[in-house]
Amino acid sequence: MVVDRPLDEAELVERARRGDLEAWETIVRTYQGIAFRTAYLLAGNAADAEEAAQDGFVKAHRALGRFRRGAALKPWLLRIVANEARNRRRSAGRRERLALRAAAESRPGDAVPSPEAALLAREDQERLLAAVERLPDGHRDAIACRYFLELSEEETAAALGVRPGTVKSRLARALAHLREHLEDEA
Amino acid sequence: MSSLEQRLQALGRELAFPPEPHLDATAPAARPFPWRWVALAAAVIALVAAFSVPSARTSILRFFHIQGATVERVETLPPAQERSNAGGLGRRVSVREAERLLGFRLLLPPLDAEPAVHLLDGVLATVILRVDGRPVLLSEYAARDYGLLKKSVGEKTLVEPVRVAGQPGLWVEGPPHTLTYFSSSGEFREKTVKIHGNVLLWTRGPVTVRLEGRISKRQALRLAGQVR
Repeated sequence: MVVDRPLDEAELVERARRGDLEAWETIVRTYQGIAFRTAYLLAGNAADAEEAAQDGFVKAHRALGRFRRGAALKPWLLRIVANEARNRRRSAGRRERLALRAAAESRPGDAVPSPEAALLAREDQERLLAAVERLPDGHRDAIACRYFLELSEEETAAALGVRPGTVKSRLARALAHLREHLEDEA
Repeated sequence: MSSLEQRLQALGRELAFPPEPHLDATAPAARPFPWRWVALAAAVIALVAAFSVPSARTSILRFFHIQGATVERVETLPPAQERSNAGGLGRRVSVREAERLLGFRLLLPPLDAEPAVHLLDGVLATVILRVDGRPVLLSEYAARDYGLLKKSVGEKTLVEPVRVAGQPGLWVEGPPHTLTYFSSSGEFREKTVKIHGNVLLWTRGPVTVRLEGRISKRQALRLAGQVR
């Protein structure tokens, strides 16, 4: 009996490289979510983020021939999309404020806290988010990629177009700023 | 991971991200041309068709001037660059939003579901259709939104007058042609680009409609007849 097995990433890339649009579509579907969220955090608004993600995937498809065999696809894609997003932020010069999901949008399976505890937790999150938003762009972007998007340090470095060592130092300084700021407020 | 890092991670899970868009995986194949320039070129030719008399069309295509636009048929095309990657289709919006921004009702063929509309500079709307599995672009814009300067058509490019739903139109087929233009704001922008592919264009009131892709004239006319 022959059983179809899902293609692994390297096979998908090879097929896409040879012009298999279905393989490319699988890649797009796999990474469009994280690519869009990355672009949103860096570009600062949904319209620019969507364009950045779309244009990034178009450029990535055209550049597949230059993709190094055996390398990780995700950081490579994120680098291209993030670059598009940063260009748009530079040209737009503005950024929408990040916001928390509405309180009613609890996730399935979430424990339900008491109203008082929920209110306190939300205030705490609002305060932390405001503090992140006040960070310099480089620090704020590092925090957003590393913690909000839960990218690895290598992926964060790729998305931000900097070295992993730069990510480490930015994160360390950003965390120190945040601790200081939150202690001052307390 | 420190307590602060854990709080930041938890915060990220509570962020209100906009709905994830459905990116167009076919875009690499469907975006081979600089749509803005194609639309501008189409507008020039459409104006020629609309304002010329049939017997004089050939000579008018050699040199024609209207509303700041000149069309020349030349022996040798000017040096032109290939399309730019920057020439995207624009951001995706709903049909309703596109119509609100454009100020006119979009003309569409019967479709199973509402299509996504790509809107460029708030003036050029494009919907990706499929004909025999191949992407074909349906683009629409109001002629008032672009100012035009000069279009050059080579000797080998076929420019054939046609009629679509009783309206004048043109079928453009053959080697690349080029365009140099003024922007509608009056700002001078000289850019000469090569335009590839087959194009069917026609006008409907103030709107110029065009189909473009690797399709035959017969396929294009059949599809255009369904666009209402």
